[in-house]
Amino acid sequence: MSILLRLQSLFSIFGHYLSFILAYLLETVFMIVFVMVSLVAVIYLFRKYMARVQLRIGPNRVGKFGLLQLIADSLKLVGKESVLPRGRDDMPFRMAPVIIFLGLIMSFAIIPYGSLYWVGSLTITDSDVSVLLLFAALAIMPIGELLAGISSRNKYAVVGALRGVAKDISFEIPMMISVLALVMMASARTSTPLNLTSLVSVQFIPYGIPQIIGLGVFFIAMVARASYSPFDMGESDSELVAGHSTEYSGMRFGMFYMGMFGSIFLGSMIVSILYLGAYNGPFSGDLGFIYLLIKSLILVILAFTIWLSVPRIRIDKFVNLGWKYLLPASVINLVIAGILTLGLGL
Amino acid sequence: MTEITKSKDLGNGWVELNIGPQHPSTHGVLRLKVKLDGEIIREVEPVIGYLHRNAEKICELDYYCDSLIYFDRMDYVGAMNMEVGYLEAAEKLLGIPPPERVKWIRVIMAELSRIAAHLVWAGAFGLDLGMLTPFFYCFIEREKILRVFTETCGSRQETNYMSIGGVYQDFNDKIVYDIEEFIEQFPAKLEVIFNAYVKNDIFISRNKGIGILEPEVAISYGVTGPMLRASGIDYDVRKAEPYLVYDKVNFDIPVSYKKDNLARFLVRFEEMRQSIKIIGQAIKKIPDGPYFNPKAKKSLMIRLRGEGETYARTESPKGEFGVYLVGDGGVKPYRVRVRSPSFKNLSVLPVLAKDVMIADMVAISGTIDLVFGEVDR
Amino acid sequence: MIEVKEPKKEIPLIGTIKVIFSIGKHIFQKPVTVQYPEERPALPDRFRFRIFLSLDDCVGCTLCEQVCPNKSIAMQKVERENPRNKRKIYPDVNFGTCTVCRNCEEICPTDAIYLTNVFETSRTRNSFTYSPEELSMPEEEVVK
Repeated sequence: MSILLRLQSLFSIFGHYLSFILAYLLETVFMIVFVMVSLVAVIYLFRKYMARVQLRIGPNRVGKFGLLQLIADSLKLVGKESVLPRGRDDMPFRMAPVIIFLGLIMSFAIIPYGSLYWVGSLTITDSDVSVLLLFAALAIMPIGELLAGISSRNKYAVVGALRGVAKDISFEIPMMISVLALVMMASARTSTPLNLTSLVSVQFIPYGIPQIIGLGVFFIAMVARASYSPFDMGESDSELVAGHSTEYSGMRFGMFYMGMFGSIFLGSMIVSILYLGAYNGPFSGDLGFIYLLIKSLILVILAFTIWLSVPRIRIDKFVNLGWKYLLPASVINLVIAGILTLGLGL
Repeated sequence: MTEITKSKDLGNGWVELNIGPQHPSTHGVLRLKVKLDGEIIREVEPVIGYLHRNAEKICELDYYCDSLIYFDRMDYVGAMNMEVGYLEAAEKLLGIPPPERVKWIRVIMAELSRIAAHLVWAGAFGLDLGMLTPFFYCFIEREKILRVFTETCGSRQETNYMSIGGVYQDFNDKIVYDIEEFIEQFPAKLEVIFNAYVKNDIFISRNKGIGILEPEVAISYGVTGPMLRASGIDYDVRKAEPYLVYDKVNFDIPVSYKKDNLARFLVRFEEMRQSIKIIGQAIKKIPDGPYFNPKAKKSLMIRLRGEGETYARTESPKGEFGVYLVGDGGVKPYRVRVRSPSFKNLSVLPVLAKDVMIADMVAISGTIDLVFGEVDR
Repeated sequence: MIEVKEPKKEIPLIGTIKVIFSIGKHIFQKPVTVQYPEERPALPDRFRFRIFLSLDDCVGCTLCEQVCPNKSIAMQKVERENPRNKRKIYPDVNFGTCTVCRNCEEICPTDAIYLTNVFETSRTRNSFTYSPEELSMPEEEVVK
């Protein structure tokens, strides 16, 4: 029983249509609150973790253990003037952060979250083609970066946006091919392999074990999508000031910032859903959501550690990596998946 | 400022871009006028002068002993080396040689300061390439050196420790113990930092074969210091023309024939290890005796008169640091002129950063080790 | 002269993983931060900042004014009975420009002007210039 039906049954006294409208509204509010809270938690975790690795303490003044620091920071960002550069292309400039944030929230709506005690299934959208929907939603975010870079009429921003495009093209194809291998393996077991829920349900052993190459390629692609170091060429702070978000300030910048941290959390969730068995584990009937959170948090921490310890890769080297190493690797992974599916019937 | 300035059409599709003076990778206030062909840099023109403080002229308006604080603020990360450079010239001009003990103290302090300067460079170079964490490990180690400086002379960075014909305060047992403790634990920490860089595939790929500086070019541009030695020329003032007591300690000059960014990186790290070696010997050999020359004691500080001209050169962390002094018999120098190594090293950037990518230019300007207090003076 | 060797080549990715591991390991070490107002590290013995003036010892020789590189010290007339200071002039110090070079302490013939290890001298308004009387008071008593 999904969360929507549960909410609907609460409002059932209002009649069929009104109760569904109310349930949808409440569900949307729930989801946005969940996304915001998880973003704040990830940013807090990042700051604390970075500080401890660098032998500092990190935020500890606002609230207990600095837990309210992020609230204070976001209040500051909201209160700041959002400066609009004079030479901007107005509509794309205002739209870009919204597009990024929209893409992030849409992707969070598609993910299957598993279930949690009496709440039941937390999955919001259950479609038979949710894999396609998810990657369509993910593909929205680079559009926002490109618009931001070009519309703000800043040379740094333009170079950053062009780098972002070059980066996106070079990792998207290997990423999709490795997803294709997953769907191929799942199609032997289920009639709806494009459904994320059934893709998870057929993972008796997590797909990360037979498809270890695919896992590597996909994780690299997800780190690159979040433009985390070593793949943060698009907004490399020591070369291009801030890349595509150079001219942004105030809450508009805050949206870019949250988009960055949101997409690493999202990416880790997707990796754990596709490759690590998502909400499956011992007693996963009740604790599925917790398992998903733990798995994705481990991946988030891994991404943070990589960010902190690795220098930025050069853009031409990354394009090289994408086309010369990741693409062949993903094709090999596809072949292995085919052999496993047809030959061994796994 | 009412009109939006259209970017000037350079023909051939190039874009002109101003990097700096406020930019994260310019180590202060360097401004680079860059002509971009897409991602590739076709021309670089460094513009300097944003930190010009007229230090040489101010030195001419003050007593000989007062100039030291302006030299501290030239290469502010390796201040002791600047003091040694100035005093080499000033003591020659004024005819006040330092006692033997002072020479050893100065060597120890200069080498500690050299390590501190190289640590700042190592951390900042990591930041240039996008490595956030080693910066903090470098600064933690540097803080221990600055602690020793505070223990010795009361200030952390702009120390003003050495005076004409001596030092202001003598070493005591606690300082000797602190320095010994530091050189005991430092090499292990240095290896951690070193491995964090060189074991990294991406770090190697960003530096190997990038920014090749041919020895002929280096010599014709007046490049000195670790940059010159990384191009395969074993020239170090400490060996070529020993000052203080550098001829009595045993150390090697690191040289590399690879000429690229990685060579400059390795040479600087090897220099830190050699500095540790020098300090280890000097702290044992340091003789007893007075810590200032009685001819230049207190209350005589502003009555020192010098006549004639001197030029002294020393090896600062950035390269050959020269001071030219002219005295006209008065209590103030007639002319002070500084040959600053960072400035000469910066002038080779247009050659190094030609037809490279933006990311490489940032890495190359990182390996030059610029300190703007010294470039602009 | 020694030639520095390039580090020996590792298998691709293995070295990077080693680095990531070695840096991630630092999370188990204690942070080095000292949270200043609550925790105070021990000051080194020779740490010096605030200038102190002993009015009884000052002979008004103006040497400190001459030697001060930034001209932070200026002589002030103070009506005060001191047989050794006939001209009744004493130094005042502008802490806004003082660089703590300690030249005044070095040159003072009677050790009247010296530096103490008090460093919490921040002011929110008014001038940074300390008159001779204020220089001779402990920092807590100076009202500005």
